[in-house]
Amino acid sequence: MPFTAHDLRYHAEESYPLLYAYLHRNAQRFLGTLKYDAFEVDTVIGHVVEQLVRLGLFGAGDKTPPTALDHLTDAQFYAFLSRSVRNKAIDRLRKRRLQVNTFTELEAPEDENREDNPLDEAVAPPWGAPPFSTPEEITLHLASQRELRNLLKHCILLLCAAPHQLEAVIQELKEMGADELLQSVIADLELSLPSSTAPSQHMSQHKDHAHKKLRHCLQQQSTNLTVMIALRLTEYTKLSTDSKVYSVAIQTLAQDDLSEGDVRTGLNELATEGLLDWHNEDTVNLTAAQLKRLARYYREE
Amino acid sequence: MNDHRHFGSSPDPGNKYAKLASWLQEVLQSPPPLKEQSAPAAEQENQLELLLDSHYHLHFYQQLPDFVMALLTNDPTATTRYAPLLYHLAGCSECHHGYLDLYDAMSAAIHAQEPRPLLGQGTRSLAATPQRMLGHLCQALISQAEAVQLQARRDHSDDDAAARSLLQLALTISARITQSGIRRPALRDLVRVATLREGTETTKGDSSALYTYTPALSGAGGARGRKTVRRADMPTRPVEQEPPIIHLQARALEGTISQQGETLELHLQDLGPELRGRYVTISVPLGALIEPVRWIGGNPRAIRSAVPVDANGQLTTPLGETALRLSDPEERNLLEAMFMLLEVRPAS
Repeated sequence: MPFTAHDLRYHAEESYPLLYAYLHRNAQRFLGTLKYDAFEVDTVIGHVVEQLVRLGLFGAGDKTPPTALDHLTDAQFYAFLSRSVRNKAIDRLRKRRLQVNTFTELEAPEDENREDNPLDEAVAPPWGAPPFSTPEEITLHLASQRELRNLLKHCILLLCAAPHQLEAVIQELKEMGADELLQSVIADLELSLPSSTAPSQHMSQHKDHAHKKLRHCLQQQSTNLTVMIALRLTEYTKLSTDSKVYSVAIQTLAQDDLSEGDVRTGLNELATEGLLDWHNEDTVNLTAAQLKRLARYYREE
Repeated sequence: MNDHRHFGSSPDPGNKYAKLASWLQEVLQSPPPLKEQSAPAAEQENQLELLLDSHYHLHFYQQLPDFVMALLTNDPTATTRYAPLLYHLAGCSECHHGYLDLYDAMSAAIHAQEPRPLLGQGTRSLAATPQRMLGHLCQALISQAEAVQLQARRDHSDDDAAARSLLQLALTISARITQSGIRRPALRDLVRVATLREGTETTKGDSSALYTYTPALSGAGGARGRKTVRRADMPTRPVEQEPPIIHLQARALEGTISQQGETLELHLQDLGPELRGRYVTISVPLGALIEPVRWIGGNPRAIRSAVPVDANGQLTTPLGETALRLSDPEERNLLEAMFMLLEVRPAS
């Protein structure tokens, strides 16, 4: 017995099992090597179901006005669901960084309608930074990029103590086509690029560890005051025994090379950016979530 | 000092380091804010997360299908008719992502080339649908009910019926979840959302309520074939002798709800000296959400006890009548969900 958009709207309880079964078949079809992973299959299905709820279709009855989805023919509605499943499945596959042959099969031959989509082209601009106002700014920026690349290279080289993590990063650089940096790293380490790119079973884990080390290394190399303070906060705070708050005294952050005034300036900057709740007290208190964000904080010089 | 936090913000889109910069940006990207974690880690591992929270932009999000259809049918007035939405999409990554998803899926639907899919296979009943998915659906419905109420509050309108209908559906579907380990997190926000409109902090307990009871959720056919699954802090009872009752707890205190014929009876013990010899008012905030129970006095928020609390702090009093049976697993689940919060205070 088929179901329709109308059924989902007015007979949600009865239609849900049918919807689930349809989405399940499609999810398995599009998830490729993940199709036997029940959690991945359910994640894809859950996404589509939630979307139908959020759009005011599933279980909404007359409480929300009908939309274009209600006016699709049954065949169109199934195609809509199937495509939604496909998109989410691809999303999951990408997240799991799996190279699946079926991926190309999933792509439409030529998505000619894409050009009708004005906002597709407008993804970057709204969130991109404004252009530089003067040539000097551009020069400074490019110089700092070069410095940054050197810093990054330095940090990647430090990963050679952990071969799997280094391999994970090299693999990433290779995939993204960062050839110059890659060749430079390869040359310095006197490595040869592996011919096969078969992903290691724990590659994702290695990559996460490598990213963590890179972040830490980049922070350590930075001479930016705010980054230095962020790093010290992550290193010197201690968990209070009676609460879930991490604390550190200003004096501890100052050490030998920074004055208390410097520390307060850095803390002020971090507080302004919403990374801390600090109001010029002598002790800085942090939550675990704030610490996590500080561990990822970086600024170019 | 040039101060750019975003490595991908190069002025030159053709910059050969753009991809490298994007990657680095990804490495350094701040993690999403941590969601409040009230459920045990083991429960969460097996739980599907909602993609949107109840603060999503419902007003704009629900316009997306019509907007996309207008674009797909080359409606020349689309951009002017949906100008506010268009501007919103430019600044809201969540809604913009939803837009891209919908545009692609609706475009595929309109230009469908695939043969009609085979239907009529698979599960036909909620009982045969995976419990995890039922739990996820409940969460989505409850979250949506909250979103509807928040939007109504912003619009100064009354959308109580829409929210109520979603909560009723969630409650009904939750009754099919036999595993308490799934049902409990699925209904975690139910009381809070159901009482949102009243503007009371009922989830934290009415300040005038002396005792706030919640059920120790159980389920027939639970994990590993056991009949019940209890919280670890509940005293152990022999499984074979499990009577058709709902166990309640308020800190160290316990209570039960049993059924005599059609009458639901509340049994409380160890109530404090301040209540002994006094009548009490019992409040069941979710009692009015669905209506299978005829409550004593007609108002589930103010049920007056039939007798005063005795000298030992014990109370047995009827709550109402219902055709639902505690001996039926699904009906019991429904009643149990309804008693997710029960408050006791001295009668005025």
